[in-house]
Amino acid sequence: FQKKPEMYSVELSGTKNIEKTDKGDGKEKHRDLKSKGWNCRRNHQIQEIKEELNLNDHKLSNEDLENKYGTNIVTGLSSARAANLLARDGPNALSPPKETPEVVKFLKQLVGGFSILLWIGAILCWIAYGIQYSNDPSSSLDNVYLGAVLVLVVILTGIFAYYQEAKSTNIMASFGKMIPQQALVIRDAEKKTIPSEQLVVGDIVEIKGGDQIPADIRLLSSQGCKVDNSSLTGESEPQSRSCDFTDDNPLETKNICFYSTTCLEGAATGMVINTGDSTIIGQIASLASGVGNEKTPIAIEIEHFVHIVAGVSVFIGIIFFIITVSIKYPVLDSIIFLIGVIVANVPEGLLATVTVSLSLTAKRMAKKNCLVKNLEAVETLGSTSIICSDKTGTLTQNRMTVAHLWFDNQIFTADTSEEHSNQTFDQSSGTWASLSKIITLCNRAEFKPGQENVPIMKKTVVGDASETALLKFSEVILGDVMEIRKRNRKVAEIPFNSINKFQLSIHEMDDPNDKRFLMVMKGAPERILEKCSTIMINGQEQPLDQSRAKAFYTAYMELGGLGERVLGFCHLYLPADEFPETYSFDVDTMNFPTSNLCFVGLLSMIDPPRSTVPDAVTKCRSAGIKVIMVTGDHPITAKAIARSVGIISAKSETVEDIAKRLNIAMEQVNKWDAKAAVVTGMELKDMSQEQLDELLANHSEIVFARTSPQQKLIIVEGCQRLGAVVAVTGDGVNDSPALKKADIGIAMGIVGSDAAKNAADMVLLDDNFASIVTGVEEGRLIFDNLKKTMAYTLTKNMAMVLPFMLYTIIEFPLPIATVTTLFIDLGTDIIPFIALAYEKAERDIMNRKPRHKNDRLVNKPLVLYSLLNIGVIVTLGAFVVYFTVYAQAGFRPSALIGLRVKWENNDVNDLEDSYGQEWTRYQRQYLEWTGYTAFFVAIVVQQIANLIIRKTRRNSIFHQGLFSNKIIWVGIASQIIIALILSYGLGSVTTLNCTMLRAQYWFMAVPYAILIWVYDEVRKLFIRLYPGGWWDKNMYY
Amino acid sequence: MRRQHRSRRAPTFPHGYRYRLDDQDEANQNYLADEEEEAEEEARVMGVPNLEEKEKEEEQNEEEEGQGQPTGNTWWQKLQLMNEYLWDPEQRMSLARTGQSWSLILVIYFFFYASLAAVITVCMYTLFLTISTYMPTFTERVKPPGVMIRPFAHSLNFNFNVSEPDTWQHYVISLNGFLQGYNDSLQEEMNVDCPPGQYFIQDGNEDEDKKACQFKRSFLKNCSGLEDPTFGYSTGQPCILLKMNRIVGFRPELGDPVKVSCKVQRGDENDIRSINYYPESASFDLRYYPYYGKLTHVNYTSPLVAMHFTDVVKNQVVPVQCQLKGKGIINDVINDHFVGRVIFTLNIET
Repeated sequence: FQKKPEMYSVELSGTKNIEKTDKGDGKEKHRDLKSKGWNCRRNHQIQEIKEELNLNDHKLSNEDLENKYGTNIVTGLSSARAANLLARDGPNALSPPKETPEVVKFLKQLVGGFSILLWIGAILCWIAYGIQYSNDPSSSLDNVYLGAVLVLVVILTGIFAYYQEAKSTNIMASFGKMIPQQALVIRDAEKKTIPSEQLVVGDIVEIKGGDQIPADIRLLSSQGCKVDNSSLTGESEPQSRSCDFTDDNPLETKNICFYSTTCLEGAATGMVINTGDSTIIGQIASLASGVGNEKTPIAIEIEHFVHIVAGVSVFIGIIFFIITVSIKYPVLDSIIFLIGVIVANVPEGLLATVTVSLSLTAKRMAKKNCLVKNLEAVETLGSTSIICSDKTGTLTQNRMTVAHLWFDNQIFTADTSEEHSNQTFDQSSGTWASLSKIITLCNRAEFKPGQENVPIMKKTVVGDASETALLKFSEVILGDVMEIRKRNRKVAEIPFNSINKFQLSIHEMDDPNDKRFLMVMKGAPERILEKCSTIMINGQEQPLDQSRAKAFYTAYMELGGLGERVLGFCHLYLPADEFPETYSFDVDTMNFPTSNLCFVGLLSMIDPPRSTVPDAVTKCRSAGIKVIMVTGDHPITAKAIARSVGIISAKSETVEDIAKRLNIAMEQVNKWDAKAAVVTGMELKDMSQEQLDELLANHSEIVFARTSPQQKLIIVEGCQRLGAVVAVTGDGVNDSPALKKADIGIAMGIVGSDAAKNAADMVLLDDNFASIVTGVEEGRLIFDNLKKTMAYTLTKNMAMVLPFMLYTIIEFPLPIATVTTLFIDLGTDIIPFIALAYEKAERDIMNRKPRHKNDRLVNKPLVLYSLLNIGVIVTLGAFVVYFTVYAQAGFRPSALIGLRVKWENNDVNDLEDSYGQEWTRYQRQYLEWTGYTAFFVAIVVQQIANLIIRKTRRNSIFHQGLFSNKIIWVGIASQIIIALILSYGLGSVTTLNCTMLRAQYWFMAVPYAILIWVYDEVRKLFIRLYPGGWWDKNMYY
Repeated sequence: MRRQHRSRRAPTFPHGYRYRLDDQDEANQNYLADEEEEAEEEARVMGVPNLEEKEKEEEQNEEEEGQGQPTGNTWWQKLQLMNEYLWDPEQRMSLARTGQSWSLILVIYFFFYASLAAVITVCMYTLFLTISTYMPTFTERVKPPGVMIRPFAHSLNFNFNVSEPDTWQHYVISLNGFLQGYNDSLQEEMNVDCPPGQYFIQDGNEDEDKKACQFKRSFLKNCSGLEDPTFGYSTGQPCILLKMNRIVGFRPELGDPVKVSCKVQRGDENDIRSINYYPESASFDLRYYPYYGKLTHVNYTSPLVAMHFTDVVKNQVVPVQCQLKGKGIINDVINDHFVGRVIFTLNIET
């Protein structure tokens, strides 16, 4: 099915040839249609690429090539010309994605979020001073200072946020350092090894098995060269490469090797025809960087919060401005009210601390092997509702392992865990002794030397995947395999090839008295069986009759049905009389018997799931996250792995399963009865967008097999159309568009390509699916905790805005100054914000459904409860303290009402209080500052209670544990200490408007703090008592 | 049951997915939601399928419109959405709440605030029971006493032209008005003549009415306005009255009366050649202290010291500083120009 070019080729190779096939091939057209949305957006770029990809080097003869690139096939380029070309084309490396200039990033921080409001506040301050100055040049500079402070706040928080972001970006920078690749190049008629970055077009390079192709290369000669193009086309089979022009399409022709693919075996010489960004991979990578990066959910939520707060403050500010102006306040006073309302409303320190909270979580996740590139992506994983996961390496261990054995008419299960430690099958049978000998001897894989201290499972092996599996398997069970092989010297060998489908070797016996030879053979089970006439049962050779053959087939089918690769094993003792010690075996003429052998057993291998994955999938399921497997592997294997890790749960059936159970044709089965579905890439190709949507929506367990990386993008888009937040794992270059498109792209840290890592938001350092689950957990936790932070912040807004409003309406001396509100926002509240990020989950957050996009961070109940319930209590409590301070100094509440104008008049220096005492302006001013301090202290005291109640949203605080989060207490201590310093330490600095407060005023608000705590406990109790009831709906945030 | 219901619908109504997700959303928000509610919800969904379909059609239409003119309509759509949010005629909802829901929440909040108000009122009431209405709890903020002068009309700069009565008439009116309470007849009628040179201490409960000492207008002699109704302004010899701010319980320390002394603040000291003080002692007699607060000490009149600037340089601004002098008096606070001193300027034109 790989015959037709995949999506990229459709777009990239705009040759007439392909267009013609398009017309003739409806299906192909359809695919094209599907990717149209994407096409349109990138049309311009694609157009460029189309033009550039008029690649016809594969059609040219060697001579034409030499002319075209001014090179010589034998002697290569001259160093001088190479240097010129290098200067012209730049180094042969993918240019990293375009970075926003640092200045722009910084400026963005200065105008983002609340900054605009604060700028407005600062400008208003200076306007106010301008008016004051024009009236009275000697007026105080307070407003100038306030404006400066606001600007300073904007700049400092901007610098802080910028620094945080830069720090998290730096984590990724460490990734970029790759071991520089070397390329063997012919220049000046000499072979040289140079860093592949210095390659230029026209260079003649030599590649051999194991090398990464250093650039796009047109082959000039090839010796059995095979390349792995999987990262480009998704074909997992090795592709042979020769110097013959076989196809008009450059992607299909055999004489071109592509940059960043690997040469698996053989050797070849080629001419560099494209370097760096102009390579096919380079073009795909630049295409990926063009796919729009969607805003992260948390960014949307925070923006929503900013909009709410900004909206409210602008609304209140404007309304009050109009009211105050219309009741003939001086414009100056109105402006000052406006400043007060804006500054009081804006939680200046919040956004910076949100960044801190996110980076704390990012750090925690990094410890659990999830490296977060984009801070905001920390939360995205928490709201993920669909995970599209790779199979190989992510869900599985990425190594073949012996899973089952069949001998003595019995299937035994081998341990496939990472450690391979306890093999529990019966090893006493004589058959096992023979089987183990075949496994050990009929094997060409070897451990690389010098790994004595490495655990067996981690040793590096030279050899193919199945032989490696067998080698490790036998090493674990039998001990030193190399020693056994030494004792059974190999005298002849036929390696595995695809025609014979078996591998054979002949050995001497380890018993020096036994002069016979042992011939061992392994291969495709049916081919092995054909060659056998006997079968070994319990160590005895038995004739291979009909029933025994049937038993063999049953076992074979069963193991095959598990998606495992099955190998058959047989042996034959060559009699010493016919084959004396000196007998020379000739593998070409096969002068030895290869039939009537003795069948010993079957072994099946699979790339087993990682042991942590089934648990992780279960967790995902209970967390309401749909796990979709997308793999290039066979449907049967994919399905088997999906079953074993629980992506297809034990009870659910696919359409095929139902058909099989009911014994009816697949067409007769109601598609929607099947919970699970296994869809191949070919089926997917034929599906319309609606069909895909239907499929994704109606099956809860889906496995996509035999898909190309490009189809991943289609699947991701389908999921997103359903409104899901999609996480995608990927490693190849071709995954990068899907990774970009996904709400959160997760690249593999070990096997992942750089392009994938660049496109991803997150990197899994251990390539382990289970790490995603811990990421989900952290993401959900931080969302909950940010909710608590927001609720905590909003509460005191009421206590800071309401005084301004009442000050305007009731006209008593100002209860709290604008500067003082800054002490709360930027002083006492900072550590509590961060402390809430350390709060543990209230209950199992992995047992609830993922957050829907409509489930806001700051929702209506949160705003209402914070502002209109707790906020009102805080305000009232603070006012009680305020009134007490004034009353005890001489101004009883009744005297305060309507006092503002006289109170603030600088010429009135004998203002009478409730006791007939007369106050000078400065004495009143000092009392006003005492009022600010008292109001501030009252808010701080109640914020302590507010902080404690925010630890939980539903459970009782005592259930959660009052001391479960030590940082909360650090936060409380910080609040008290900062307040103490402001009052007693800096009480004499008049510009701060703080005074030393009498000790008793510190305790005045305590009853209200207790009231807050009790009220919130009652709220939580009702929520727990009547889940889903009115109270729950309106009071649970 | 619910899932089956969905599955049956889904293939025929592909647009139904949206609703299913919405359902999920509801379930999310109250993920503890009990089965009962789910059943109820389902009943609703099943009971009025037409409504849902109608909505769906509308949405489709909207989508189509949106696709047709992707940019031009967004604001209009937003406005419509907003409008619908404010008042949704179909479901009779305003701000996403029905009338019933609104009344419920208003009632709840009413009770919440009522009880909160009750709690706060009780708190405030008991708190204020502990604060005496007769004596202020703390007086340290209002001490040491401030000083103020009369006449005072918005400004401490006395600019007037002797020959133009319009420029000083308002000072005279102000002083006359201020001294009405000091009229001898009134003082004799209301207040007692207590012995000078000692505190007029009245023991007894704090809620008992206290007597006040007489301070007669005539004490001010030439500045009383009795002989010269223009208080000297007509002759370029202005009278300025100085009073010390009242403070409950304030007693000049060590029994020495507080004296007043004025001089040129900056410049040539000889700009003021002579000042007459009335009473001649230029002091506040001890008998006027202590003050017992306005509730019980009803007729208390602040003692005054009149400064008669009999010979001031004319036609130039003369800054004058009058200070209180005495034990326990502070007159050099940097930030407060009215504690223990007062600064004003005289600019008398002829």
